[in-house]
Amino acid sequence: MIDATTLFTIVLMAGVTYLTRIGGYLVLRNRTLSVRATAVMEAAPGCVLISVIAPAFVSRNPADLLALAITFVAATRFSMLPTVLIGVASAGILRHLIG
Amino acid sequence: MSISQAVEVAGDGSRSEFRRGVASCAPVLFGTIPYALVLGAQATQKGLSVVELSAMTGLNFAGGSEFAAIQLWTSPPHIVLIVAITFLVNSRHLLMGAALAPFLRHLPRRKMFPALFFLCDESWALGLADARQRAAAGITPAFSPRYYMGAALAMYLTWVAFTTLGALLGPMLGHVETYGFDMAFPAVFLVLMRGMWKGVAAARPWLVSLVVAALTYLMVPGAWYVAAGAVSGLVSAWFFWRET
Repeated sequence: MIDATTLFTIVLMAGVTYLTRIGGYLVLRNRTLSVRATAVMEAAPGCVLISVIAPAFVSRNPADLLALAITFVAATRFSMLPTVLIGVASAGILRHLIG
Repeated sequence: MSISQAVEVAGDGSRSEFRRGVASCAPVLFGTIPYALVLGAQATQKGLSVVELSAMTGLNFAGGSEFAAIQLWTSPPHIVLIVAITFLVNSRHLLMGAALAPFLRHLPRRKMFPALFFLCDESWALGLADARQRAAAGITPAFSPRYYMGAALAMYLTWVAFTTLGALLGPMLGHVETYGFDMAFPAVFLVLMRGMWKGVAAARPWLVSLVVAALTYLMVPGAWYVAAGAVSGLVSAWFFWRET
């Protein structure tokens, strides 16, 4: 039901996540970052997110690449829910059609 | 502090402030539910039990890092990698907390420590936008803790409930890849990134991250591509920076 290593990993995840939540409040509360450090910090979330989904951009399956292109265009114009629906539908349909 | 005392202190009706927070979060929840179901279903495919998945979403409560962790999950999990990626994905909270901090100065720390557990992209964005609006309207204090908690708890309960439901339904859904549900993951991240978009120049580090992560993924076995992509993007951001 619950594995010790898995639980340990989850507790550590929760710990570092909580530290990020209170860290900005505690450490940066009475401090101003340099403009350059702020620019780096502002780029950080996007750098991480795009790195996590990078494998999708180099998929060997043409159906996946086409679906990703459609999803990409959808993400530039629509909000979260329609984009997710378009992405999931295009991937499902294209994989069925192209394989 | 008892509930009646809390109502007195709030003055403007704490219950209605809480409700206002829940209501403003409702459209966001509509978008969160499919995402939560997909995460739950993917987790069971990686071998996590329903209890394990609920523990993860309930204790960690940070969707992006949970998606990343599930993508990278092996049995047994690579602990250092998963914890490091969790930190990297959630490092944005440091900036979010810093942006919110000026509005929280009038609040005691002992109240902020539990409240910040519920800080997520949505509760942060709603709480900060509300505080800025109230500040512009001359309302003091600008930050409404009960409004924030209304939005935050609505997100929390929805997230934990629907990731758990996704895990329960997971085996019935079969392999989500067959249906294309895994595309929800790039879809959500791309929409989040559009929200962070500040022009082509500011997005150059993202391109560096994408290229380095993709090349690392193709050439290096294991899941190091996330760290390689993220770190190279940050280093490039440092060097791309020009004084304006």
